[in-house]
Amino acid sequence: MAPRLTVQVQLVLQALLRDPARELYGLELSEETGLQPGTAYPILLRLEHEGWVTSRWEDIDPRAEKRPARRYYRLTAGGAVQASAALAAARRPKGTALRRLAERGGST
Amino acid sequence: MMPRTGPRRDRAEKQGIAWLAGAGMWIAVGVAVAVPPGLAGWARVTFACCMGLTALSFIAVYRGRSRRTGNGLSVHGRDDDDGPAGPAVHQRHTLRMVSLLMPRPAGRRWLAEAESLLAEVTAARRGAAVRSYLLSAPRLAVMMWTREVLRRARHGPRRPG
Repeated sequence: MAPRLTVQVQLVLQALLRDPARELYGLELSEETGLQPGTAYPILLRLEHEGWVTSRWEDIDPRAEKRPARRYYRLTAGGAVQASAALAAARRPKGTALRRLAERGGST
Repeated sequence: MMPRTGPRRDRAEKQGIAWLAGAGMWIAVGVAVAVPPGLAGWARVTFACCMGLTALSFIAVYRGRSRRTGNGLSVHGRDDDDGPAGPAVHQRHTLRMVSLLMPRPAGRRWLAEAESLLAEVTAARRGAAVRSYLLSAPRLAVMMWTREVLRRARHGPRRPG
């Protein structure tokens, strides 16, 4: 089942789709989307649950790096395709009401 | 593992001894003053322990309050005080407590990710980031528990290891 494409979900997907092979961690994603990290996290979790996104812990020695390990996210191959399609569909004007209005306008 | 040594440990030991002494004193007072004379032996001991524990909990609450408010009236001198805990410590405690609302693995991951991000975010943005984590936590907890319950219904409880 595809996740509900709210504006926030679209922002996250757009950020991930800019370079589907690139991995982004929470702070980067938050900066790119303008979303608060607490907002982006549940979205990423949902996308991961749907299989659109995969994640991994960074493999570092926190003492040597003097910071905790990051969690990196990136789109899966299937996720990238589905995300592109979903975003394209979301950009199209939402149908019936607009179409009816256009048809009515054309008929008069 | 290195044993814990130094002034912190000394202070903890001294505090422990002081607490034990306090508990003993209150139990003794309870036995001597408040135990009705008609009670059987075991009932006297139980009654005295209850009195002691009640008194101890009152003291603990009072001491906790006086330390939090930092009014300088604590029985410990200023040299014995670590000083007020920074906002980062409070935030970490709050996040940890909130993570306990979620199923354990999900809570741990949420906390680890939040801490990882908060370690790198600028101080100016940290407060807003923490607030956003805390605000989204209840909904996230519901989502995680729903998922966990469904998973358990399908596969049974998670096995350790």
